Amino acid sequence: MTGSNRLAFARALVATNLKAALALRGAFVLQVAFMALNNFTFFVFWWVLMRRVTTLRGWRLADVQLLFGLVAVSIGATVTVAGGVRHLGRLIEEGDLDTLLTQPRSVLVYALGMRSQPSGLGDLLSGLIFIAASGEVAWSALPLLLVALLASAVVFLACGIAFFSLSFWLGNVETLARQLWEFLITFSLYPEPLFGGVLRFVLFTVLPAGFVAYLPVRVVQAPSVPLVGLLVLGASAYLGFAVLMFERGLRRYASGSRFSTFG
Amino acid sequence: MAKYAAFSRVAVARAGRERGDLYGRVAFFAVILGVFSSLWRAAAEAGLCVAIEPRALVWYLAVTEWIVLSAPQVHLDIQEAIRAGDVVYRLGRPVSYVGAEVAAAFGVLAVRLPLLGLTACVCAFAFTGWIPPARAFAMAVPFGLVAAALLAALHVWIGLLAFWLHDVSPVYWVCQKLMFVLGGLMLPLAIYPGVIQRIAGYTPFPALLAGPASFMLANGGATPAALARDLAIWCGVTAVGLGWTFRRAATELTINGG
Amino acid sequence: MPPAVELDRVSKSFRVRRPRRPGVGARVRDLLRPRTEAVTAIDRLSFSIAPGERVAFIGPNGAGKSTTLKVLAGILHPDAGEVRVLGLVPSHERRRLAFQIGTVFGQRSQLWYQLPPRDTFELLGRVYDIDRLEHRRRLDALTSVFEIGALVDTPVRQLSLGERMRCELVASLLHAPRLLFLDEPTIGLDVSAKAAIRELLRTGSEREGVTLLLTSHDTGDMERVCTRVIVIHHGRLLWDGAIADLRRGYLKTKRITLWTEAERLDLALPGVRVLSSGSYRTEIEIALEITPLGQVVDAAVRQAAIRDMVIEDAPLDEVIRTLYASAEPRQVTS
Repeated sequence: MTGSNRLAFARALVATNLKAALALRGAFVLQVAFMALNNFTFFVFWWVLMRRVTTLRGWRLADVQLLFGLVAVSIGATVTVAGGVRHLGRLIEEGDLDTLLTQPRSVLVYALGMRSQPSGLGDLLSGLIFIAASGEVAWSALPLLLVALLASAVVFLACGIAFFSLSFWLGNVETLARQLWEFLITFSLYPEPLFGGVLRFVLFTVLPAGFVAYLPVRVVQAPSVPLVGLLVLGASAYLGFAVLMFERGLRRYASGSRFSTFG
Repeated sequence: MAKYAAFSRVAVARAGRERGDLYGRVAFFAVILGVFSSLWRAAAEAGLCVAIEPRALVWYLAVTEWIVLSAPQVHLDIQEAIRAGDVVYRLGRPVSYVGAEVAAAFGVLAVRLPLLGLTACVCAFAFTGWIPPARAFAMAVPFGLVAAALLAALHVWIGLLAFWLHDVSPVYWVCQKLMFVLGGLMLPLAIYPGVIQRIAGYTPFPALLAGPASFMLANGGATPAALARDLAIWCGVTAVGLGWTFRRAATELTINGG
Repeated sequence: MPPAVELDRVSKSFRVRRPRRPGVGARVRDLLRPRTEAVTAIDRLSFSIAPGERVAFIGPNGAGKSTTLKVLAGILHPDAGEVRVLGLVPSHERRRLAFQIGTVFGQRSQLWYQLPPRDTFELLGRVYDIDRLEHRRRLDALTSVFEIGALVDTPVRQLSLGERMRCELVASLLHAPRLLFLDEPTIGLDVSAKAAIRELLRTGSEREGVTLLLTSHDTGDMERVCTRVIVIHHGRLLWDGAIADLRRGYLKTKRITLWTEAERLDLALPGVRVLSSGSYRTEIEIALEITPLGQVVDAAVRQAAIRDMVIEDAPLDEVIRTLYASAEPRQVTS
């Protein structure tokens, strides 16, 4: 199997995925619209607050807009292209990985690319508007922004893979994994200076809002080689770990030790 | 009455069993209070309105989130029942369908309100190191309970729209977001620009969230009498609205043959 | 020619968690030290299938059918024994093997629900690295054979189960696999749809030389499609041979239905069991080892004139049920 074949497969998978999401036109448009609306509503809070305080521990409204936008685009991209991540737990639990195992492709890539969440496009669009409105990104900084976005999305995806892969060992982790996923999003949407001490350590390790949000924002606003390097390295490390975890889990799945029934 | 109580009891049992969901709500509540206690402290440093203390704002949020997190998303259950056609069987029984759904919603509240209320107090105290005066609780808790009940009833109303709409989730979402903004979920309405405050006045949202929570603030926004009046009005509107909507829906059913 | 499928003393067992007891203390202990027991799913199973054969693989629920199929497909790794499918070891060469096998799950679909089958076929072309031209050619051929021309552009959610099944078969054959695994392919289908699918499977396999391994609870699938049957129960091989032999060899009984001039018949012979008698129609079952067929017919003729008579082998379902009942229970160890 050559690299170009893998790419062709990935491309075809994404295309089919998006087609399936678009198939229900009405529901698609609604989901996109409402996610965008959701984000704007949430942002009203910040707008009202910042009119009164102007800065919050050094963060202005523009900084919050950038943060919001970055995280929204990151989430949006992830759930649009690799929307299967949120269903990974259920796939594992219900033995639906079997169908994927009989096909000659990477089980993880297939599982991730099998579903798409239309709301992701709402996130993407509103996120881009936020970034533009923040005025923090000059045209010359576009490549840097892309790096930051890509790294952020990669870490976010890696966390999703890791959280939901716990199902290989712990069985039904739907609630727990979804909870962790949502905590990650929650913490990513609030300015970094709000968190200190032990919490900050956690946010740069186990629940890496630091790599999903804070570091990318810093990279865009005040880029430096070590900072970019740290971000890229971090994203790679998280992805590597997540993939490893999935593969280990898959081996366990194939050895049948997670089965509680057999037929 | 006893018939409706039975529906509540079943709902209570079910809610008690869905422990994962409850723990999730508790955990989320704790996290959000923690984040906001940090935020309000930072805001206070930045010179936010001196009249409102950051720790009071945390308790304010505790009350609004208590109400929001306790309210069951019955609109989804009702939508499912209507889609699956179960509703037709329920209509035949000698129990008001709407009454039964509302009673079931109250059952869920009966499980969530105490648990989340406890979470609210424990976390708010842990993060602020302060407990509001007894009067604040004496006002906030009863009004909060009524508000939570009203919110649940509103969810039932949204659910009934499933007789006409294929998917009521968008309606729920929009209402929820409007409630967050116009009901002052995170910020007391007093901080909002006047225009927004005036618009909010025409909706039930301030009565649902900001009203009960404002008792936690030193110079609370609402007076008990005014809030009671608002809640009563909106309860009345909701009750009438529910009845009317359901009668229309039932006629739809009988005309279209289910 | 080397066999398409070869199993040699393959075993597979699972660790099953013993059900929890109530009480916090017990639950905590369960978490720290889970009490498990090893359940043997398949026990030293051995058989081989020649290329082009059509084999039915049957057994009751919990017999180890799905486990065996999964081991063959490379989804599960066996604990012991050797497995070779198309010359490859499934657990080590899953991807290479995947290019050459196809699967059809009656209860799980390969087709994307919201899209027309054509889109899934397109994607499968990329999945299996099928050359564009070859893909087009093959799809056209399969479309005409399976008669799905009118269905290819209709979203799968709008297709009936029978139509969907035909598309599933096309999807599984697109990459010209040499071996096809089918798990309950006719489940839920009406009689004519079942007949159509069975016919397609049989002729398709004959024409292209595809080896079929089919699991089903429907003996009709077995009889109409396959030539050989392997019966498995409690993880062990119960029977392996031609279907005709199964019926004839295992249960030496015959069923006779008689329409007579007398309202009922009284045939109290050893080895004869009257299944029903009345309204001028009698149904009896004869154990041939005890009483020969001729003797029973003679006895009937002596009692009344016979208007019509049908002699059949015992229904296959019963044969199989008898087989299942004779198996030893499976091994369970703590």
